[in-house]
Amino acid sequence: MLRELSLHILDLIENAIRAGASIISVTITEDRAKDVLEIAVEDNGPGLSVPVKVATDPFYTTKSGKSTGLGLSLFRFQVEQTGGELTLHRSELGGLAVKAAMQLSHIDRSPLGDLASTLASVVCTNPDLDLQYRIRVDASECEVDVSKVRDEFSPDERCGLTIAKHVYKQIKEGLSALKVTE
Amino acid sequence: MAKKIKSLKELQELKSRVKADIDLRSGPKETQITVHMGTCGIAAGARDILTSLTAELSKASIDNVTLRQSGCIGLCDQEPMFSLSDRSGATFLYVRLDNNKVHEIVQDHLLGGNPVTSYLSKE
Repeated sequence: MLRELSLHILDLIENAIRAGASIISVTITEDRAKDVLEIAVEDNGPGLSVPVKVATDPFYTTKSGKSTGLGLSLFRFQVEQTGGELTLHRSELGGLAVKAAMQLSHIDRSPLGDLASTLASVVCTNPDLDLQYRIRVDASECEVDVSKVRDEFSPDERCGLTIAKHVYKQIKEGLSALKVTE
Repeated sequence: MAKKIKSLKELQELKSRVKADIDLRSGPKETQITVHMGTCGIAAGARDILTSLTAELSKASIDNVTLRQSGCIGLCDQEPMFSLSDRSGATFLYVRLDNNKVHEIVQDHLLGGNPVTSYLSKE
């Protein structure tokens, strides 16, 4: 089991990168009036080559030499444990969209966790990836587009670590300003 | 005042010096660390290891390291782990990591040039 929702997001991002995606979008929506937390991770990769039911089977994997694929099934378990639903469909970006909706106040919902470190770790190791992040809490929102952050630096300065530090700071400030529920 | 170029040979020497300088800045770094981030690695703490690693590199002012991520390599029981390819060209697989081990590896291997053999995979 992954102890934070942000680690599930990291796992979905790693899946998308391994599938060849160059654009990944992460959207988190917190609707306090409806008591709903939604997480969507979309990419421009090749999409699903098997039915949804097969993709979330813990004994299905696309990796050679392995017999289990636990990432999606663990996330589905976590989401369904909170009375929510995990759906997979085609993204407007051209690849896969994984969407999870869960009850925000459910006692079994895992905390969002350290989202800033999670996304910074992706940027740090994939400096050329176009990662688009958006978080909405009721009517307020904050977004970070890594390609725009990257453009603030000259080619010599564009190392993963430098961009990651700025992305981390922007996400952290946004989370604090929006007073996101843990 | 800048030195005047008086021959084709001097121009070619200048070209190779500038090219070497550009390669140094934009080419591959001499040390590469790949953090393994399959579901097993993430569950075992790979993100925190990467965060700890970037903090240790910044603290030690080491900037000649390229950080990468990859998936599971089939040694799930030894996660979290990273592979380190150093300037000798050799690759070292450090396993069952925690923040203290990351600190030691940065100090002893990256700064001191001595691999920390007790943290290497025995496989």
